[in-house]
Amino acid sequence: MIEGRSTAVLAHGLGGSADLPIPYTYALIGAAWALTFTFAVVALAWRKPRFDPAKPGRPLPARLTTVVDAPATRWAVAVAALLFAAWVAVAAVFGPQNGQNPLLGVFYVLLWVGLVALSLAIGPVWRALSPVRTLYRLTPLSRRPPPNQYPRRLGYWPAALGLFAFVWLELASPDPGSLAAVKIWLVLYLAVTLAGTFVFGGRWCARADPFEVYGVAVSRLSPLRRNPDGRIAIGNPFDHLTSMPVRPGTVAVLAVLLGSTAFDSFSAMPQWRNFVDAHSGGLPLGAVAIRTVGLLVFASVVGVTFHLAARATGGVDGATRRRLPGLMAHSLIPIVIGYVFAHYLTYLVERGQQTVIQLADPLGPGWNALGLGDAQVSYVLSMHPSVLATLKVCFVLGGHIAGVIAAHDRALWLLPKRHQVTGQLAMMLVMVGYTFTGLYLLFGG
Amino acid sequence: MTTLNPRTLQTLTALAAVALIAAGCGGSTTSETSSSSGAPAAPASTDAPQLSDQQTPPSRLVIDVTIKGGEVNPTNAQFDAKAKEPIVVRVNSDVADELHVHSNPEHTFNVEAKDGPQSFQFTVDVPGKVDIELHHLNKTVATVTVQ
Repeated sequence: MIEGRSTAVLAHGLGGSADLPIPYTYALIGAAWALTFTFAVVALAWRKPRFDPAKPGRPLPARLTTVVDAPATRWAVAVAALLFAAWVAVAAVFGPQNGQNPLLGVFYVLLWVGLVALSLAIGPVWRALSPVRTLYRLTPLSRRPPPNQYPRRLGYWPAALGLFAFVWLELASPDPGSLAAVKIWLVLYLAVTLAGTFVFGGRWCARADPFEVYGVAVSRLSPLRRNPDGRIAIGNPFDHLTSMPVRPGTVAVLAVLLGSTAFDSFSAMPQWRNFVDAHSGGLPLGAVAIRTVGLLVFASVVGVTFHLAARATGGVDGATRRRLPGLMAHSLIPIVIGYVFAHYLTYLVERGQQTVIQLADPLGPGWNALGLGDAQVSYVLSMHPSVLATLKVCFVLGGHIAGVIAAHDRALWLLPKRHQVTGQLAMMLVMVGYTFTGLYLLFGG
Repeated sequence: MTTLNPRTLQTLTALAAVALIAAGCGGSTTSETSSSSGAPAAPASTDAPQLSDQQTPPSRLVIDVTIKGGEVNPTNAQFDAKAKEPIVVRVNSDVADELHVHSNPEHTFNVEAKDGPQSFQFTVDVPGKVDIELHHLNKTVATVTVQ
C-alpha cells in the first residue's frame, strides 16, 4: 500500500495526460455518416448473403505455412515470450517501485492494446506467446490427455469474468497505478490459468484465458487466416468474421470489452467524478463500489441491448430466437476494435514508446541495455490533435460500418425472407446507438 | 447470369458509398482543422469561475485552490489553456500535501501547511487533458484542457 501511495496516478494507472476531446463538428459528421450508412445498408445493399466462413482465402506460398508451423519457430517464439515475461517480472520485483517501473506500461498498454493490434494484423498470436501455454508444454502433463473435459456449458464465461477483472483493476479499483495491485492481479491470473490448464488441458486456455479469448476474437477480423487444409491464406475479413464460433458467453465477452471502453471515457467526465465524490462518503471503498456498479451497468447495457436487438425479429421459432444473439455476436467485434483503437491509440503509440524505453533499463541504474536509454518519447499523435481526432472518428465510423455490414449479411442468412428488413431494424438502431454514444463520449459530453 | 448482373451493380453502389464515406471523412475534417484549432481559445477562460484569471497578464492561467479542514475547493473544475503557456496553481492550505500534474512529462509539487498562498508554475508542452490532483487527499482539483 505504501509503495502504491507513493506512485499513485490517475487514469489507467499510467499517469500523463489524456486525449483532447474531439471537436463538436467531427462528432456531428461522424454521427451523420453513421446514420446515412446504416440506412443505406438496410435499404439498398445486397439481398443475398455473401459472406461465407467456408470460402477459402487466397493461399499464400506454402513455405510461409511450413516456416510458421515449424516446431523450431514455435519454440523460439514461445521461449522468447517466456524470457520477455521473466524480464518484466524481474523489473517488477527488483526495479524502481514507482512510475518508472515498466510493469504498468507492459500490463496496461503492450498487453491490453498491443495484443489487439497484433491479433488484428497477423492473427491469434497469444496462443503462440502465452507463457502459461509454454509452461504447460514444458511439463509431461501436456503429452497425456487432460484429466477432465472442459464443461461445454461454461463456454467463454470464465474469460468474460477474467476480462471484467482486468477492466475492474484498470477503471474501478482503489489505485490502478499501484504496482502491488498489478502484481497481485498477475499472480492470480497465472495461478488460475495454470491450474485450469492442468485440470482441463489446453482447452482451458482457449476458453478461459481472457487474453487468448480477446486476441482470438479480434483476429477474426484479420485478413490473414487458415484455409481448411491448414494453409495460411489471405482473404476477405468478413468471410473470416463469420467463422466466430457460437458459445455461451460470447456476447458477454464483447459486452465487457465495449462497455468498459465506454465507461473509461465516461468516468473522465467531471459530472461523474463529482457524483462519485459526493456519494462515496469520503471512503476509498465507497468510490470503488460506485465505480464497480458503473462498470457493471455499462457492460450490462451493451450486453442486454445487443441480446434483445438480436432477438427482435418476427417469423422464427423459439429455439432459433434463443440462438440469434450468439449467431449475431461476431458483428460486435469490429465495433469493439474500432472503439478500442479510437480510445487507446495514443496510449499504444506514445505510452508504448515510454514502456519500451523503460524496459531497456528495467532495474533503473542506467544500464541502457537496448541502446534506448537516451531515447525520447515522440508525442506524434498528441502534437497533432486534428489528425488524432480525424483518426478517432474514422475508427469509430469504420467499426460501425463493418459491424452493420456483418450484421446485415448474417441477418440475410438467418431471418426468413419476409422479415429480413424489419428483423434487422432493431439491431441497426442499437448499433447506431452504440456509435452515437461512443462519439458523444469522445466528444466529452 | 441474370442474377449476377444486378448483384454486381449493387456491389458497385456499395463500393461507391464506401468511397464517398472515405472521401467525406478525410475531406471534411481537413477543412475543419483551421477553424477548430482557433475557435475554442476564446470561450476558454469564461468557464473559469474566478474573474481574476482574466485580469492577470496575457495568456496565463491561474487556478486558486483552497484546502481547509480536509475540504478542497474547487474539485473537478474545468479550465482551458494553450500549450507552452504558463499555468499557475495558487494554493492556500492548512495541511501538507502533494500536488500532481498529470501531463507529459508529469510535475509534482510539495504543498506546505502555512498561511498565505503558495504558487506553483509549470507549462504543458504536449496538448491533452491534464488532471491536477491532490495526492494525499485523493481529490482531483481541476482538469485543464491544453490545446
